[in-house]
Amino acid sequence: MSKLVTQRAAGESFVGPAVEARGLVKHYKGRDGVVEAVRGVDLRVEAGEIFGFLGPNGAGKSTTVRMLTTLLSITSGTARVAGVDVAREPDVARLRMGVALQEAGLDARQTGRELLVLQCRLFGMSADDAASRAQELLELVDLVDAADRRIKGYSGGMKRRLDLASALVHEPQVLFLDEPTTGLDPASRLVVWEEVRRINGHGTTVFLTTQYLEEADQLCDRIAIIDGGRIVREGTPTQLKTELQVRLGLDDEPSLDDVFLDATGRTRERVAGVVREVGA
Amino acid sequence: MSYTWVLGRRALREALRTPEALLPTLFIPMFFLVVNLGQAGKIFPSSTTGFLDGQNYGAFQLPSSMLLAASFGTAALFLVEDIEGGYFDKLRSSPVPRTSLVLGRLVAEVVKGLGIAIVLVLLALPFGIHVASGFVGFLLLIALTALWAVVYVGFMQLIALKTRSAAATNSGGLIFFPLLFLTPNFVPRHMLTRPMEIAATCNPVTYVMEALRSLILQDLVWGRVLTGFGVVGALGVVMVMLNLRMIRHYD
Repeated sequence: MSKLVTQRAAGESFVGPAVEARGLVKHYKGRDGVVEAVRGVDLRVEAGEIFGFLGPNGAGKSTTVRMLTTLLSITSGTARVAGVDVAREPDVARLRMGVALQEAGLDARQTGRELLVLQCRLFGMSADDAASRAQELLELVDLVDAADRRIKGYSGGMKRRLDLASALVHEPQVLFLDEPTTGLDPASRLVVWEEVRRINGHGTTVFLTTQYLEEADQLCDRIAIIDGGRIVREGTPTQLKTELQVRLGLDDEPSLDDVFLDATGRTRERVAGVVREVGA
Repeated sequence: MSYTWVLGRRALREALRTPEALLPTLFIPMFFLVVNLGQAGKIFPSSTTGFLDGQNYGAFQLPSSMLLAASFGTAALFLVEDIEGGYFDKLRSSPVPRTSLVLGRLVAEVVKGLGIAIVLVLLALPFGIHVASGFVGFLLLIALTALWAVVYVGFMQLIALKTRSAAATNSGGLIFFPLLFLTPNFVPRHMLTRPMEIAATCNPVTYVMEALRSLILQDLVWGRVLTGFGVVGALGVVMVMLNLRMIRHYD
């Protein structure tokens, strides 16, 4: 790790959970009245964990992440990231977290290097420090050769890696990744998984949303499943599988898919039926 | 200010890398200047038309072209692209003051507006148009045009932040567009029909146009010039305040 990053990370230690939400609620005003997107979410993610946040489409995953990352106001409840209340001190919280949202949010007209330098400057670095940190990150995500090309020419995997790098410019203590591998080919997905493990290996807590249960099974220390704006399961993948096996008296260990389907009230038949209908 | 300037530089880079969006801001106003000069130049010969102060009709038309060039609002459309593509959220997730997120683009618009105004004045020179108020007048001319660009983009940004839609921002901009033509566009205000004169008098753009025109046709007429700057200043403050309010409540 560079001297620059070590210095920055040194002054930002915190005690307690990396992410803590209590009674988190989000209501929107919709055309048909108030929409209750998130209805009282309690979460606790310990420092150093890779935490998986799963749920079907529209369950409240992204809304919860957007509240935790200061991008969305909180209707009620509290949320702390790296010990900082995100509603009361959003700028302090932003200094401690890195965010890579659902679709790689990049400016296609910039080059990869320009984007990273800009991101570094926005986190308060001088021009020289920003240039050297950008170079470090480009090397880290293996984009040195493409660094001075416009982002619009990057592949999906390259964009994801650049997005990930841009979330790491300030060596955050908590990294939020919203569906980081959606739309990637299997090889690119493995690269991102390795990167997430490596980042976590340096002590960064990772809060990951995903629709891929295999991804959660491979990467996450603990997971929570949200459905209808409420947490319906929480634990380690092994705990959740064992609980289901015991409860249903199954001979074989169920998969995380089975846990997910059970938790969200869905069945394989129903899901398959929906797929058939769409296919027709 | 440093964050604002960093974001402003990025917005300028964006504009320079999109010449297909930049060129119409020069081409279309020049097109109108040439067409209007061709159509009405003989009706208003410089020798017998008092309000031209010895210049040709193109000099009278140049302020309209300059205001038109400063009223494209492409920066707001780039903002919508950022919002739709998710990059705006990336910027919002950084610890940058919220104000810098909108002020960055407005600062870039000042620089862009200055550049466009200078180029338009230079392009007007071959038509026999000159700035009668001299070098100071020239500086005031490009400054007033650039500040108008900020007012217009500020208005467009409001729509962009509210609707987050390129189509709505484009259409919303058209609401403001007629104000540019509800002015003493072809003849001085006192020569307009009474209803048009009343409408033009109520239209703040009129005072900006008259200030620009006085700088081109006459020596420094401070009353007109200061009125123009006053109108732009007041509208600019309103637009900036509304933008800041909008970004602080952006969810």
